[in-house]
Amino acid sequence: MALRVQRFPSASPSAAIAARAVAIVLALVTAGLLLAAAGAQPIRLGQQVLRSTFSGFGIEDVGLLVTPLILTGLSVAVALRIGAWNIGAEGQFYAGAFAATGIALFVPGPGVVMLPAMFVAGALGGLIWIMVPTLARAYADVSELITTLLLNFVATLLVYYVSTGPWLDPGGHALATTARLKHDVPEFFGLVHWGFPIAVLLAVTLAVAFSFTHWGYEVRIAGSNAQAAKYAGMPFRRHLIVVMLLSGAIAGIAGMLEVAGTVHRLQGGISNNFGYLGIMVAVLARGSCIGVLAGAALMAVILNSGIVLQTQGVNTSTVLAITGLILFFTAIGDELAHFKITRSQPA
Amino acid sequence: MPNATERTGPAPGTPPLVQLKGIAKYFPGVVANQDVDLEVRPGEIHALLGENGAGKSTLMNILTGIYQPDAGEIIIDGYLKTFASPIEAIAAGIGMVHQHFKLVRAFTVAENIHLGWSETPRIISPQALEARTAELSASLNLAVRPDARVDELSTGEQQRVEILRVLARHARVLILDEPTAVLTPSEARELFRALKQFVAGGNAVIFISHKLDEVLEISDRITVLRGGRRVATEKTSTCNEKMLAKLMVGHEIVLDDLRACGTKPVAQSGEPVVRLRDVTVHDDRGHTVLNRISLEVAPGEILGIAGVAGNGQKELSETLTGMRSIAAGQLMLGGQDFSAAGPADFAKFGVGHIPEDRLRSGLAPALSITDNAVIREYDRASISIGPWYRPRAALALARTIAHAASVRVPNFAMPVRNLSGGNQQRFVARREMRIASKLLVAAYPSRGLDVGAINTMMRYFVELRDAGVGIVVISEELEELLNLSDRIAVMFHGEVMGVMDTASADIEQIGLMMGGQGTAAPSRMGAMVH
Repeated sequence: MALRVQRFPSASPSAAIAARAVAIVLALVTAGLLLAAAGAQPIRLGQQVLRSTFSGFGIEDVGLLVTPLILTGLSVAVALRIGAWNIGAEGQFYAGAFAATGIALFVPGPGVVMLPAMFVAGALGGLIWIMVPTLARAYADVSELITTLLLNFVATLLVYYVSTGPWLDPGGHALATTARLKHDVPEFFGLVHWGFPIAVLLAVTLAVAFSFTHWGYEVRIAGSNAQAAKYAGMPFRRHLIVVMLLSGAIAGIAGMLEVAGTVHRLQGGISNNFGYLGIMVAVLARGSCIGVLAGAALMAVILNSGIVLQTQGVNTSTVLAITGLILFFTAIGDELAHFKITRSQPA
Repeated sequence: MPNATERTGPAPGTPPLVQLKGIAKYFPGVVANQDVDLEVRPGEIHALLGENGAGKSTLMNILTGIYQPDAGEIIIDGYLKTFASPIEAIAAGIGMVHQHFKLVRAFTVAENIHLGWSETPRIISPQALEARTAELSASLNLAVRPDARVDELSTGEQQRVEILRVLARHARVLILDEPTAVLTPSEARELFRALKQFVAGGNAVIFISHKLDEVLEISDRITVLRGGRRVATEKTSTCNEKMLAKLMVGHEIVLDDLRACGTKPVAQSGEPVVRLRDVTVHDDRGHTVLNRISLEVAPGEILGIAGVAGNGQKELSETLTGMRSIAAGQLMLGGQDFSAAGPADFAKFGVGHIPEDRLRSGLAPALSITDNAVIREYDRASISIGPWYRPRAALALARTIAHAASVRVPNFAMPVRNLSGGNQQRFVARREMRIASKLLVAAYPSRGLDVGAINTMMRYFVELRDAGVGIVVISEELEELLNLSDRIAVMFHGEVMGVMDTASADIEQIGLMMGGQGTAAPSRMGAMVH
């Protein structure tokens, strides 16, 4: 009888979750060791981070960060279902914020009407922004990876331009932003705005749609093997287009909620890299819509910790490094979850 | 005194080229190899026989460095070796041509030959690369087209590229996994000639096959594996088919003549289930791949499609199942025009399809067994209510199909690619049989299966035939078609060369037609331009 390590073709769910938990702890420990090497006191910093994160104020901050992260994470995860990489959630976020701001600034009306209108405008903005990459992929097989990525720069520059140029606050109260929007997304239990329950509801709805509808089943097959979808007579191209447009619309909604719920003015850099962080959230969630909630929560806590660390004189890049370490260790953990130690008995 | 006419073999004292001693390999819950000894001498063609799962592939993967053995020794030319990777095995002169070719489809033949080869010049023009390939091709006597892209080649041509690739790297031991599965009888003879020539130079061939007759024809010695163990190594001259089959499966088994068995439905008259009239089909690049094909299949009839792979059979199966649209002509199913219909319409009508490449098109390999089980029935009442999909009902259906296919599934959430090839094939076959109320199209259903599994598959078809379903079986195994089908159509270059009743079919004639000679169908006028 001998002990041996064997790789199994699929990892058990419990092993996968355990591997991820260990990976996150290891990433934090590694970050702590590096901070210690740089002369900081990681334990004291850790306590500081925990204390401020779980104070009422900290939870509110995390709540503000988590909403856009859930939505951009969903945006990427949804596209992954059909086998597409939406690297452009960042650009669609800007486009959604831009469209919602346009409505708010130039169309008069009461809040009850205007907020839904801004919501729809935000979704349409994101949808239009992913339209060209979608059609190029569907009809000419152009990689959406490149096209969605490049359109990010266009959207970013567009928002910089309007917020410092044509849409610059005429009151002159603030530099390089538009005027304050007249309509705010109302608060939800005094902690966060209504964007948070909307994002959670969207995640749950999508999870249900993917698991319990024909459409979800067809998207699952089509996203996994387009040939098999063709074999079964499923409309691959139609699913690709619908899912990618949906992905763009969700990122656009994230932009609308950010500008109307949190920032209240359109300005350059409003996305805070949420679009790119959404890729990490989706990867951490392994493309699962419910998993996105957990991934976004983790990412929000990390981002918030970064703010705390900064007040303690630690460079903000540290936070980026920590997110990178988590992704790195998670990838290793995912692979290791396939291995088991078994006893073999020669027959 | 040794007989003077017998081949004398290498001089005494020459070490065997390859010697495997006591090889063992374990996978989770499975003993893939145990106590396997194998000795391959210079100048011999050594056949490795065994059913699916007998451990042939594992053993060869160990010899070629893809797996490392859990026990045992590999001795090459008298020296003990360990292969940490295939590169080291290739350096030791061991090359393998896999059943599923490992070529880059988007590259040319010349590029594939030179890919990952230390002798490839660092900087070289495509023309020079092609010239080098042409030289190799001439010197090793294997005709290939250096400038052709691999995905333009027929399976037989791809095999030649694979062999050339291995021989160009100075392999002294050539391992061939099921090499004749994709060849015509004459191409196979050509391959055999090339192999004999190769071993005459003191090299050796390990020949993996299920086909007893060709093993008897080509090999010098035969090793039989069963259940991961070696059960015998014999001189071929002392073997016959019966005894080998017995050694392989542990009891006697023969492919039955299935044409006569079962309760055949009496009346086959009336509307054919499918009728093609002058159907012309283009491939994705607009080349004509089916040229004015006319065929029909009656209910309860099995139509065999013979021909060398790559002569339009794949496109025919796609046309018959609605996956490929037709450019001209008419396709009728049960009297209705389906010329413009899609695969979902065909499936709804009752057309099942066992595709040529099950992993690529019949299954979504990364998805669960359950997801793959319901791909045909997810929108039918048993699985769904309105737009809703019921995972529990899907799981129940998956269990039913797995049970009917006698596939043991430990976990239905496991990706379907974890099933063995034979299990995947039975699973797909059973799934398609459920919806095939009118017609079943099976492309190469026995490819890669062993004798027992092929028999099971053939019985499935007979069962359906007896239920009045029309069946189209595409195969390269002439014997299989002769045993199974009522009529045989022969395809060559996208055309039907002729259709004949199996009872009166002449094998010689079919062979000629497979090669593009012989009497053509009346509709075919002289030489067509391709």
